[in-house]
Amino acid sequence: MLVVAFTVIVVFVLSFYIWHQMESVRIGYTINDLKKKVKELSEEVEKLEAKRSQLLSLERVEKVAKEELNLAEPREDQIIRDDSNL
Amino acid sequence: MSILYQNKAYRRTIIISFLLVFWLTIIIIRLLQLQVFEHARWKEEVQGQNQDEVKILPKRGTIYDRRGDIMASNILRKSVYYCPSKGEPYELRIEKINTLKDVLGLSETEIRNIRERIKKNSPFIWIKRKIDQSLEERLGKLSLGGVYLVDENKRFYPHGKLAAHLLGRVNIDDEGLSGIEFRYNSILKGDKGEYLVMRDAKKREYLIEVLKEGKPGKDLSLTIDETIQYCAERELEKAIIKTEANWGTVIISNPSTGEILAMASYPACDLNGPPQNLTILERNKAVHYNFEPGSTFKIVTFAAAIEDGKISNQAIFDCSQGYIPIAGKYVRDHERFGVLTFPEVIVHSSNVGTIQISRSLSEDAFFRMIKAFGFGEKTGIDLPGEESGILRPLDGWTRSSLAFLSIGYEISVTPIQLLQAINIIANKGIVIPLRTVNKKPDFPKLPMETNVERQRVISEDTARKLTSMLERAVQEGTGISAQLKGYRVAGKTGTAQKIDPSTGNYSPTSHVASFVGFVSAPNPVLSMIVVIDEPKGRYYGGEVGAPVFRDIASHVLRYLEVPQQKDYLRNIRAENPWRRAER
Repeated sequence: MLVVAFTVIVVFVLSFYIWHQMESVRIGYTINDLKKKVKELSEEVEKLEAKRSQLLSLERVEKVAKEELNLAEPREDQIIRDDSNL
Repeated sequence: MSILYQNKAYRRTIIISFLLVFWLTIIIIRLLQLQVFEHARWKEEVQGQNQDEVKILPKRGTIYDRRGDIMASNILRKSVYYCPSKGEPYELRIEKINTLKDVLGLSETEIRNIRERIKKNSPFIWIKRKIDQSLEERLGKLSLGGVYLVDENKRFYPHGKLAAHLLGRVNIDDEGLSGIEFRYNSILKGDKGEYLVMRDAKKREYLIEVLKEGKPGKDLSLTIDETIQYCAERELEKAIIKTEANWGTVIISNPSTGEILAMASYPACDLNGPPQNLTILERNKAVHYNFEPGSTFKIVTFAAAIEDGKISNQAIFDCSQGYIPIAGKYVRDHERFGVLTFPEVIVHSSNVGTIQISRSLSEDAFFRMIKAFGFGEKTGIDLPGEESGILRPLDGWTRSSLAFLSIGYEISVTPIQLLQAINIIANKGIVIPLRTVNKKPDFPKLPMETNVERQRVISEDTARKLTSMLERAVQEGTGISAQLKGYRVAGKTGTAQKIDPSTGNYSPTSHVASFVGFVSAPNPVLSMIVVIDEPKGRYYGGEVGAPVFRDIASHVLRYLEVPQQKDYLRNIRAENPWRRAER
């Protein structure tokens, strides 16, 4: 009886140990995947910020304004300044 | 029967026991062999299969302009490498490389280097680093054994050629080579990290252990303003194309803080372009180029004369001949002026008058004034490759040196030195160090940091008198093309002949045109120097440099919302003295 009980305990401990190991590895995979995801998203944010900066570069904005939207620099007489503080 | 059975059973037991012991012994021997005698070898083998020590290159810091716009950042790019498997024949390896050659467009030099590495049996060979995204898919379809892709950061400049000389560039390993990238490399690059990666049989990563924590590079905030930089580059490019000049440079600063707001040079090139095109960025002419300044240097002569106190504002100088003999040579004015008062000499940039004024100065006093303005020494701006100019020591001066120096010859200066000189006048005689990087990570509007080192060069009274003269130079003198409606401008033109290297004499056709000045009222808000090398046709500083100053400053002042002054809202003078001179 004692032997059976001992065997059951040993089997239980071993099973728990194996389950623990398996679970640790599984969580390791999940953590690693999430870390990768975070990194990818950070990279994506950085890439989009750079892209935004590129699209808003003044050379491009001026080109689009002048060539596609037919806008022009304001003439001096078209500029109204707030001279109240003079 | 039972004895026979017992014997048989005994024998079988003995045999089975023997076999078991034998089997166990073999197992133990094998275990001993694997676990004890060959432990190190197998451990290494296992670790090689499921553990990798990965060195992570730090992400380089982002460079921002003063308002937080990105000037340089990083994007992920794939790099291709080849790990030949053991026993792979040399011919097969070369065949793989030849396949990659067509896909990746490898040059002959690159192929040669790779072949050499293969011959040396290198376990790791870079094929091509940081490839374009379009190549990634093509490479994936090839599925060549031993050829892998890895992510690497690549420096990316969202504005292409904007501020290219100032920003500089990096090499393939992200080490700064020039400009800000080089000067602040230690801050931007960060520290490498080391990780231990555990993989399972399917090569999936399940544990990452940090061996050494890597540090990403720190971000940098420049004093440069993207909009002002763009205005400067656009107007400079227009001027260079219009005048068919070799090159040009413009520097704009906030004189009261020493912050560089823009530093433009033309020609420039896209920083994201091929590395072989980027060599023109290695020399930033704004801080590197030495040239004889000509008349812009007269501000130093006049500062020395005013400080000396021997000449009053009412003193007159006969410039009616239009020339003056110096050491067997004739120094000429660009037109005959007649008799000029002390301020009129600088207003009309008379060489004859300036040389007469220099005769009242002692060589020692003038030399000290030149040194006090910082000529012959680096300004100390935080950029690499700054030149100190050439100022001969006093004991190397000839009898004519004082005269020639007074009109900006026999001395070489850099554009940044001239800008610092005009800033001293704008700052009422105080020198404030120039810089391109903000020490604080915020981006407030002007005026900004004032906690900087201050050192007096000339008295406040001298600076005020000089400012008044330079304002007249723009109102009625050679700098009339720099006038701005609604703003008071002080400035000085310069036109210097260049030495012809083939003859060693001054060339009658090669000039450096320049204009240095500042918007002076109500407080100095911006100062600027424009230098244009060898303009064709019209070549005077007042014709070539001053209009660039005006065009850039008018945009910048509107952008900075600097209010106009009522006194200066009247129509500006229409007549250009250079046109008058032509008549």
